[in-house]
Amino acid sequence: MAIRWSRVASILAAGLVLGLAWNAWSGRGLALAGNAFVREGDAIEEVSVEDARARMDKGALFLDARPRDFYDMSHVPGALPLPEDDFDRAFAALEDRLRSHFDIVVYCSGYGCEASHIVARKLAAKRIRATVLHEGFPAWTDAGYPVKEGPQP
Amino acid sequence: MTWLRHPAVHRAAGVLLGAVFLYASLDKIAQPAEFARIIYHYQVIGPSARLGYVPANLFAVALPWTEAVAGVLLIAGVWRREAAAVVGVLLVAFLAAVGSALLRGIDIENCGCFTVDGAGRRAGLWLMLGDAALLAVSVFLAAAPTRREPARAETPEGALTLPVGRE
Repeated sequence: MAIRWSRVASILAAGLVLGLAWNAWSGRGLALAGNAFVREGDAIEEVSVEDARARMDKGALFLDARPRDFYDMSHVPGALPLPEDDFDRAFAALEDRLRSHFDIVVYCSGYGCEASHIVARKLAAKRIRATVLHEGFPAWTDAGYPVKEGPQP
Repeated sequence: MTWLRHPAVHRAAGVLLGAVFLYASLDKIAQPAEFARIIYHYQVIGPSARLGYVPANLFAVALPWTEAVAGVLLIAGVWRREAAAVVGVLLVAFLAAVGSALLRGIDIENCGCFTVDGAGRRAGLWLMLGDAALLAVSVFLAAAPTRREPARAETPEGALTLPVGRE
């Protein structure tokens, strides 16, 4: 009555095969190499950290989509706080500045963080174009780019 | 605890565990991209600079169907031990993922257990406790023997004869 490992392997293989088949033919599938944070119908562009830096030097406006506490600890110099969890209030305070900028970069806490995509999507709904910083703030600090500590932009 | 070996107990436990996993698979099968996003939030198998997006996406695609297959087998009582073993492995992996997220201070609003969009259960200690209970059931089904052992005498309790006559 011991476990037959060939059966265990069969169950796992069946899950994988059915999953791949469903993904390919159900019409609900996702691109296996794609970023699921970018949804269908999104016109969200991502920018590498090097390109983001270059844009900053040309005057791009950076937005920090992380919770305000994180912003207050440290952020990209000059970035403004537009936390995803307090979007409406923060947006109201920033709207005029956002509408006068044509190059906006949004970032959050990196790969596992969805806030920058959500903020970019909400901005797009208000007809403000924003680009998402790929890999977010960790990529910025890893690259050794400057960081501003404390709550002021 | 001989009742634990009764085949009917195993059958019932299998149906219960299988129903939980089959139910858990449905929303993920219906919305794989939503489920993929939840996997990203855990930050265990990516995405990351090293792993890219493929491992997390592949997991999002294969896991729900593995849950469904194992769930159906458990309900049907076919390959019960093996299906329970698969479910047990999934639960161990899930416990490790939730535990590591908690340790790293990652707040996961929706654990991706039963629903993948909108509000789900937060990944926390209560969730781990519930999963530990499910894990206990799956280990039981995978490892415990059914049927009473024949050696266990049919002797009613208390009817054991005392070894008398020995000096």
